[in-house]
Amino acid sequence: MFKQITDLSGNEWYLIASLWIFLLFFITVGIRIFRMRKADAEYLKGIPMDDGEQHDEESLN
Amino acid sequence: MTVVLLLKKNTSMQLTKFHYDNAIVRNFGVATIFWGIVGMSVGLLAAVQLVWPFMNFELQYSTFGRIRPLHTNAVIFAFVGNAFFMGAYYSLQRLLKARMYSDFLSRVHFWGWQLIILAAAITLPLGLTTSHEYAELEWPIDVGLTIIWVAFGINMFGTIIKRRERHMYVAIWFYIATFITIAVLHIVNSVQLPVSMWKSYYLYAGVQDALVQWWYGHNAVAFFLTTPYLGMMYYFLPKMANRPIYSYKLSILHFWSLIFIYIWAGPHHLLYTALPGWVQSLGVAFSIMLIAPSWGGMINGLLTLRGGWDKVRTEPTLKFMVVALTCYGMATFEGPMLSLKQVNAIAHFTDWIVAHVHVGALGWNGFMTFAILYWLIPRIYKTELYSKKLASTHFWIGTLGILFYAIPMYWAAVVQGLMWREFTPEGVLQNPNFLATTLQIIPMHMLRAIGGAFYLSGALLMVYNLVRTMQQGKLQANEPAEAPELTPVVVNEREPHRRLERKPILFLVLALITILIGGMVQMMPTFMISSNVPTISSVQPYTALEIQGRDLYIREGCVNCHTQTVRPFRSETVRYGEYSKAGEYVYDHPFLWGSKRTGPDLHRIGGKYPHKWHFDHMLDPTITSPGSIMPPYPWLLVQPLDASSTKAKLNAMRILGVPYTDEDINYAEANLQQQADAIAADLSEQGVEIRSDREIIALIAYLQRLGTDISKAPVETATNE
Repeated sequence: MFKQITDLSGNEWYLIASLWIFLLFFITVGIRIFRMRKADAEYLKGIPMDDGEQHDEESLN
Repeated sequence: MTVVLLLKKNTSMQLTKFHYDNAIVRNFGVATIFWGIVGMSVGLLAAVQLVWPFMNFELQYSTFGRIRPLHTNAVIFAFVGNAFFMGAYYSLQRLLKARMYSDFLSRVHFWGWQLIILAAAITLPLGLTTSHEYAELEWPIDVGLTIIWVAFGINMFGTIIKRRERHMYVAIWFYIATFITIAVLHIVNSVQLPVSMWKSYYLYAGVQDALVQWWYGHNAVAFFLTTPYLGMMYYFLPKMANRPIYSYKLSILHFWSLIFIYIWAGPHHLLYTALPGWVQSLGVAFSIMLIAPSWGGMINGLLTLRGGWDKVRTEPTLKFMVVALTCYGMATFEGPMLSLKQVNAIAHFTDWIVAHVHVGALGWNGFMTFAILYWLIPRIYKTELYSKKLASTHFWIGTLGILFYAIPMYWAAVVQGLMWREFTPEGVLQNPNFLATTLQIIPMHMLRAIGGAFYLSGALLMVYNLVRTMQQGKLQANEPAEAPELTPVVVNEREPHRRLERKPILFLVLALITILIGGMVQMMPTFMISSNVPTISSVQPYTALEIQGRDLYIREGCVNCHTQTVRPFRSETVRYGEYSKAGEYVYDHPFLWGSKRTGPDLHRIGGKYPHKWHFDHMLDPTITSPGSIMPPYPWLLVQPLDASSTKAKLNAMRILGVPYTDEDINYAEANLQQQADAIAADLSEQGVEIRSDREIIALIAYLQRLGTDISKAPVETATNE
């Protein structure tokens, strides 16, 4: 499929660079996510559940 | 480990009391409902016209070519746009524990956005259009849109900066990505040279214009119909299900991979066209990769309901959300499949694309909007939903509507796609008359209209239900809330993404870089390396009359039903003629390749029929094509051509690089008249008496020119050398 890249007249570096950016970016993100502390993730996912509203006692819908 | 200055929530501090602005949420909610009904009604009218063309009421302003962009703009920017702002204004305030930065900016945003929609609703039926799909609005409205978008951005970032919650929740990342990407897409795709107040030409031409347009068009779907709704999904689904999102880690991967990959996929709209092959291949590769983040998001949403599926039985909001997520999953699987060249060869230009788009629009966007409205309106009105039973009825009617819409369209697509390609054993086209393939799918189009009517009926039920809900409650315009202020403290924070989540500007810059990479890699070589768009010496600029005819073609929205790109398939070259080359479009500002063949391709129509055939065809298409569903265009025969703009148009084209000489421009009107007189004289010989200054003459001139230059190219003779 990528044989068609060869008509780029020496500008293949665009594609090669983007491939490397793609790989480095996701490997980095992947490692960081893997090393993320569970407590941090739990805190962040709980943010929407505390909206700061002063609720009445009665439940809504 | 980095030592940084943090804004730390000090829980020992006294709570600060403040108010959330619910009035702006209500305003956007009402606008969502109003424009939703308008947009869907126009869509239904357009669908009906594809069965009974007379349903345009014989008015130019309500003809398919003009109301189709009205429908798409209304549902995308008016319905979905207002719904996004409603959801964002509600969730931003609560996720950041702060009132919106500026009530004034909120009002400017709301009224400015409605004004833009109103301008679109007026100008599009008048035929004032740029012809770029989903970007049809002319330049003054584009400028207004930019100003309003910036007002929204300032208001959003102002709120983020004055927040009382240290970290930005994942929903806000999606809102930030939406803001910055739409800004980039809109600016790059709107670089136009104004000719007059309501007419402009794009800077780009032909292949390059097509690449920019579909980079925009595809990513308008990505960043206006998808990322803001993913942001809302991450906020509203946990609220509705009363349980946190399934995996926060997955949401991080989902966000970054989605915004990085999506931007590359635009060229899959241009497979088998004159776009350089390597760009098409990149588009296909990244489209396939896009399944992973898209399904990651869908799975994250559906798994949020784990242990809570019993609520889906009783809560209409969750029913809508489940179908919305399912439709998202279906559409995001289908999209990559359609980008496979073998599938695309059959499905492209057929109703499959219409079905695909509507599974996303009706299912994902529509159903999530309904869910949020049903959940949110009772809360800000401090009451309960008027009738859950009506909401459930809406859900079932809407679901039936989606099925009645999509299934016949898939069926029609397969039928027509195969009929276009069918050859007899003798090697000739089985269906040489394109119309035969159109007539075959009329029953499916009828069923599609019924599906649309179902969907609209459900939405009308919702309007009644929500109006009654509003009547029984009272809007709490300023909802009291409390949260501790953030105070600056120095702490160590080990995790990089946690650090990033409290730096909105850095986050914005990183998101910008991420979305720029794909577009730059695809566009820069296509624009800068001349071998990507080989020129053809025999291709010449359009004449003055042809330019005017081309602008009429744009005004009437012919591009909505007719393509101008013959793909390199035997079935197409036999039916239409030689396949289209990049060099044939170098003077096309804008490109008019189209994306749907309700009627046949027109790139090789020039010289195929006499002038009189075109005259009759525009007067009443059934004269030349019995049974045709194309509407008549009688106004072209009576309306005089506005030739006063000719010089300005040619001048603008010259500024854009079209090689018109001084003579071409100085004698533009005389040349125009000369060519018009010749066409009128030819028509007269055929028994048609019409003045040479009528619009139909210019349109005939343009159609007769289409695709003819290539036949003037010198033929290369094979030699033995």
